[in-house]
Amino acid sequence: MAAAGAELLNRNAERVNALNVFPVPDGDTGTNMNLTMTSGMKELQGKTSPHLGKVVEALSKGLLMGARGNSGVILSQLFRGFAKSLASSEEAGPAQLAAALQYGVDMAYKAVVKPVEGTILTVAREAAKHAVTIARRTGTADELMREVYEKANEALQRTPEQLPVLKQVGVVDSGGQGLVYIYEGFARVLSTLDATQHEASEASFVTEAALPEDVGMADRLRGTAPARPAAGHSAQARLATEDIEFLYDMEFFIDRSKAAKSAPLFNEQRFKDALAKDGDSILVIESDDVIKVHVHSRKPGDVLNLALPYGELIDIHILNMREQHRDLLDEEGHADAGNLPDSEALAAAEVLTGGAAPQTTSPEQVHEYAPFGIIAVAMGEGIAEILLDNNVDIVLSGGQTMNPSTEDFVKAIEALPAEHIFLLPNNGNIILAAEQAAELAGRSVSVITTRTVPQGLAAALAFREDESIERNSELMKRASESVRSGQVTQAVRDTSIDGIAIREGDFIGIQEKAIVVSTSDLNDACRTLLSGMLEEGGDLITVLTGEDADANVTSQLKQWLNSEHPDVEVEVLEGGQPLYPYVFAVE
Amino acid sequence: MTKIRIVTDSTADLPADIRKQFEIEMVPLQLSFGDETFLDAVTIETDQFYQKLAASEQLPKSSQPSTIAFKELYERILTETPDAQIISIHLSAALSGTYQSAVIGSTMVEIEDAESHLTVFDSKSASIGIGVLVLKAAEMAGSGSSKEQIIAELEKLRAETKIYFLVDTLEYLQKGGRIGKASAVIGSLLNIKPILTLDEDGVVSSIDKVRGQKKAMLRIVELLHEKFNSQEPVTVTFAYAERLEGAQEMNELLKSHFNVQGTTYYELGPVIGTHAGPGTVGLFMHRV
Repeated sequence: MAAAGAELLNRNAERVNALNVFPVPDGDTGTNMNLTMTSGMKELQGKTSPHLGKVVEALSKGLLMGARGNSGVILSQLFRGFAKSLASSEEAGPAQLAAALQYGVDMAYKAVVKPVEGTILTVAREAAKHAVTIARRTGTADELMREVYEKANEALQRTPEQLPVLKQVGVVDSGGQGLVYIYEGFARVLSTLDATQHEASEASFVTEAALPEDVGMADRLRGTAPARPAAGHSAQARLATEDIEFLYDMEFFIDRSKAAKSAPLFNEQRFKDALAKDGDSILVIESDDVIKVHVHSRKPGDVLNLALPYGELIDIHILNMREQHRDLLDEEGHADAGNLPDSEALAAAEVLTGGAAPQTTSPEQVHEYAPFGIIAVAMGEGIAEILLDNNVDIVLSGGQTMNPSTEDFVKAIEALPAEHIFLLPNNGNIILAAEQAAELAGRSVSVITTRTVPQGLAAALAFREDESIERNSELMKRASESVRSGQVTQAVRDTSIDGIAIREGDFIGIQEKAIVVSTSDLNDACRTLLSGMLEEGGDLITVLTGEDADANVTSQLKQWLNSEHPDVEVEVLEGGQPLYPYVFAVE
Repeated sequence: MTKIRIVTDSTADLPADIRKQFEIEMVPLQLSFGDETFLDAVTIETDQFYQKLAASEQLPKSSQPSTIAFKELYERILTETPDAQIISIHLSAALSGTYQSAVIGSTMVEIEDAESHLTVFDSKSASIGIGVLVLKAAEMAGSGSSKEQIIAELEKLRAETKIYFLVDTLEYLQKGGRIGKASAVIGSLLNIKPILTLDEDGVVSSIDKVRGQKKAMLRIVELLHEKFNSQEPVTVTFAYAERLEGAQEMNELLKSHFNVQGTTYYELGPVIGTHAGPGTVGLFMHRV
């Protein structure tokens, strides 16, 4: 039953993504929920038990660890409560099922600091409430689940009435939609609906017009989706199978402890350079005796030969991505992009070591516990390097597009030998996962709720080794609140928000969470954004240039700032972040 | 009337003409660049020093004057003026062995009852912070104050003076190992300005690290406001390392926040300059 829920969500992840309101390239609520659910399913595999409590417990554990993004975290909390309530039940009737759903809702509301109505929370709550009301007069679990699904869908359709931004854009909440898919899957299995009915059901979904949307919870980043995501336009469908150039997706470990005495020293950079000749998506992580290697290569034999001299190769996985892609296209009229090749998920989850962070001390080499450790999330090698240079010990790769999971945080926490650890999520969508990790880690961990990279950088700088946990929390929080953040990116779709008309391809300037400008000229976007940020004054502007920054624009921007705001110091740093050509901090 | 004579060391950063004018004796610290050794402010001038510092790969080392140097100076003064009272004011004992050396030197003086003529005073300060005390002592001595009055006044002034160093680059603090282990590797990628202070015990501590010159200056204003309000008349003394304009800019900012009655600029000498590095601006503020 859980599998069916996961499956249906998986199939529709891209549709959920498309419901994200914000026009920045971040439409990943569906991906996040899907990855969360997938992690739950993984935990379930091989743990089949006739005992219902045991099964949902395993599912819940997997969800908790895999949770990423706000909707994913809330989903995991819903199931956490659900599982707790059913822990000792071998099987469940309508009454227990309803109680468990309600308990999950209670848990989720507790986990969220400021619950926002018109989101997945509302959908779950109304569905659970209905379940409790009707449980006594409902004969079977499948009948109940069907009611739950229908009620959830009704609640979903009302989300635009509750959250103005949804109405403005004409969509329903995307996180809520994800949950409805899961409930639908449950209901179908329980009533042994044939899978062939999928298509019909989906059609009806589309005709219900106002599809969902997400409001990433507390984070009010929003954008618009067309009310009806065009079918067959998923990113993967647009990609021809033959376009996959580096077709072998490889992952393996080099066991250094089993290397020959004469084995050469491992030079990470040189190794990566060699891989890059016939490959991309390269990830090399060195830790003590094991080197993890991930690459998409067109010559898998060469890759293995390259690695052999350094030690024994273990846990080797090689997949043909063209084949995967063909299967994907065949499978389901390519409505599905949630089924990303594992590289994406992998890259998002891994600690940025090596190239990005050569100075990070490998935790295994340090036996003494430091009083404090800091884990931050960021995209871009330059930003990672700056963070690592300023008190941060581990940088997790992630941001608006790829949210690290709770488990990624937990792993990083486990790897960091420090008495107390501060987490800097640096994105509104990552805060909940960080908070969940802090709770699960069983260590002394606190989250500084930084919502942008500039905030995170200010917080990292404010850290004082010789101060207490409380004082440091206060200092870091205060520092993060004293900085104004701005970002420039390109719109991925046409929309209109807060009276600003946005065309696909426009450069949009975002101050904190609000879009303040949209124009086809990058220079204009930067200037308008910066002028707004400087309205209340400022002494220092930090410019973090992204991958797509333009050297001419950067130097023109510097000149402009010097002449328009001569009193303000300007510091330009290479951030290297993707998708955001410029990130600004004013303080 | 008992004649009062003032002794200090080269780290007080008082130029020769001022020392001459107020009859202030100075014992130099030693500076060595590798095998080359100089007597601070005697065989090397401040601007020469900064040129050498910029060219040198290694940081120069400074060492306290010998006990003999103090002994001989005290003996000379007491021979010239047998009934003189000597007040010897030195670099914070927490930072250097100079004070210790002077105390030992004073016990070695081979003149009868010399000890009753000698007072060694720990400035618990550095650079022109010492200089301000020395000038105060010289001025009071000139107007006939007693040794006791002068010492009492110095103690008061020492407690009342706020001292901040705005350091231009982390480089020298790191090279000299003068900032905490944890901070040593920090911030080389950002334009970070450390703010140092000397506390009431004369110990250097890092108050804050701020990004950017302007924010650092504003942070110092904020710190000074904890001690001084904007109406009471204050005096500011600057010690700058090769960056007078930095001190002047700071002075303009201070004038817009405080009732600044007088400003004096001096060069920051080699001993502190080595550790804080070129570009450092030290400021010393006290009530008039």
